[in-house]
Amino acid sequence: MSEAVAIDRGVRAIVRFSALLVEDNLADSELVLRELRRGGFEVTCDVVQTADQFRQKLQTTTPDVVLADYNLGSWRGMEALEILRSAGLDIPLILVSGVVGDVTAVECIKLGATDYVLKDSLTRLPASVRRALEEKQVRKERRQAEADLAKKAEELARSNRDLEQFAYVASHDLQEPLRMVAAYTQLLAERYAGKLDENADKYIRYALEGALRMQTLVTDLLTFSRVGRNRKSTPLAGDAVVREALENLRAALQESGAVVHYEALPTVSGDRTQLVQLFQNLIGNAIKFRGEKAPVIEVSAERSGADKRGAEWTFSVNDNGIGIAAEHAEAIFVIFQRLHTRAEYPGNGVGLAICKKIVEQHGGRISVESKAGEGASFKFTLPASPADGEMDHTQ
Amino acid sequence: MKEAPDILLVDDNPADVGLTREVLAASGLHSNIHNVPDGEEAIAFLRRRGKYTEAARPDLVLLDLNMPRKGGRAVLAEIKTDPGLRTIPIVVFTTSDADNDITHSYELGANCYISKPGNLGDYFSAVQSIEEFWFGFTSLPHSGDQ
Amino acid sequence: MNDIEVDILLVEDSQDDIDLALHTLRRENLANHIFVVRDGEEALDFLFCSGPYADRNAAQMPKLVLLDLKLPKIDGLDVLRQLRADPRTTTLPVVIMTSSKEEKDVANGYHLGVNSYIQKPVDFEQFRQTVKAIGLYWLLINQRPQNHFANKPAEPVKP
Repeated sequence: MSEAVAIDRGVRAIVRFSALLVEDNLADSELVLRELRRGGFEVTCDVVQTADQFRQKLQTTTPDVVLADYNLGSWRGMEALEILRSAGLDIPLILVSGVVGDVTAVECIKLGATDYVLKDSLTRLPASVRRALEEKQVRKERRQAEADLAKKAEELARSNRDLEQFAYVASHDLQEPLRMVAAYTQLLAERYAGKLDENADKYIRYALEGALRMQTLVTDLLTFSRVGRNRKSTPLAGDAVVREALENLRAALQESGAVVHYEALPTVSGDRTQLVQLFQNLIGNAIKFRGEKAPVIEVSAERSGADKRGAEWTFSVNDNGIGIAAEHAEAIFVIFQRLHTRAEYPGNGVGLAICKKIVEQHGGRISVESKAGEGASFKFTLPASPADGEMDHTQ
Repeated sequence: MKEAPDILLVDDNPADVGLTREVLAASGLHSNIHNVPDGEEAIAFLRRRGKYTEAARPDLVLLDLNMPRKGGRAVLAEIKTDPGLRTIPIVVFTTSDADNDITHSYELGANCYISKPGNLGDYFSAVQSIEEFWFGFTSLPHSGDQ
Repeated sequence: MNDIEVDILLVEDSQDDIDLALHTLRRENLANHIFVVRDGEEALDFLFCSGPYADRNAAQMPKLVLLDLKLPKIDGLDVLRQLRADPRTTTLPVVIMTSSKEEKDVANGYHLGVNSYIQKPVDFEQFRQTVKAIGLYWLLINQRPQNHFANKPAEPVKP
């Protein structure tokens, strides 16, 4: 077994390689070798004549290239190609042959032969071999690069899973001790109000506030870390998803007098629970961050991404609320990132981070277009459902 | 409806036990609450072993899942596979609201599953609802003791 | 029909009781979709998607089954036994709602794994209150098991 060393494109450097000749005519094999050496190669070579010899040789050596005669008496050079294939060997096979029609040469190459050189044009052979070896090297490098990339991707995925697991377990385990603190500080507040000195009431109030805030933070963190677990993918009618989200927002809609327009939304492919959450968060935000006027919210969709595999839809959720200054347009999608004080607007800043996670889980992207004081337009993409005719009609 | 029902409260967190006791004491029902801190004690109580030879047979079990030594799941499995004990209704009352905890509990035979609310008022309501449903509306088995 | 979500499967052969239960559940906004079957065999066909319900979407299980005991064809306890024996319905919440006060029915019900056993009050108003309490407890307060046909959640199981 030997490997080609130092392939130097452009410059005719000396190249060492090993060849396996499949030839039943000894004289012809001599000619081939002489031509290769004349072409500047240092070639070590084995010669076999029959298919069995060929198979056996391959078991003990791995040549860099196979040079086979087309016509081998009882068998054909192309059969050698088949033997290489079924053994899973990526070794270039060049047919070196006398008998030819142009048609046969083209066919052989179509069937997988690397090249076809005529015995009376052997001067072509060195260039052909050089090209075959170079292509093989490129293939090898590419495979290695792909393997490296796959390994890195797997490491990254594993790291992400570990982090999510951690966030999930941490928030899960924090709930009980948090409940203890929150419940008992509240009992203190209720039952000892005014019975201790005035500082005590204040201390208890701050402790309770902190505990309650921690509780919502942990709940939000838990919700965030749960996105993506137990994902299903089914065709979903956009209208039905938005309807369910609005059902969950019933109280907020009533209280704010908000009006939501949506019609003829397309069928998409995804997880129902998550997509309801997505619309619920976006529409909920549109209601929460309203200005003076009653909120007017529009949900619409248009086709996009037709050039990629499978079409997608770009959804827009537009509102007439307080808007977002352009410099914050990306930060708002970061978990726990808030633009207002708690006194101005409640919340922990998880809603949009959850939206982003959900959209990205579905292979889409989310962004916002907005100006401070001029409402906001949230845009995100979702995959179209291949089964456009079937719809999820529940509710 | 039974006078002064017996409730076995299996929970190792004295803070939660305190809250639960308070709610149950405030209702007019005067239930007897027996608290054990882990699964082994719970089984001993139900099988009337060791210090529990005189223990009452509970009309209802409130079961936390996360406890040291024998956890709630092991208790569930053991009670619900014992023909002498399986008719006792078990309400899993625990912190977790994770889907697989819920489903797993039902698979082991839990009668129902309530996750402990974080909010004090909601916690009180939950315990009240449990008591009201199981002692106000449900018929409980008076099956012969083991 | 095949894909409609059913909140409650009411297995009951008394028209009066059906009417009162439906009225109460709807008025209290406890359930949107209540499906009624009038005998044990139909209940099993519905839940196992067989016979006249062969086209029903098997992934859509009701959230709660309200089960009378005295039923034509197959009686309630037998229905319960079959439900608990089948992996598709072994964790399905079932509440027996029956006029029977027999201790052995209560004992057998719990033995077979009913979630709870309720005696139907004779009084009109008490019946209403009972149905309301059942709806509240089992649809709103109680956490329901995942449908077996849903993908198993990938969350960690705590020891």
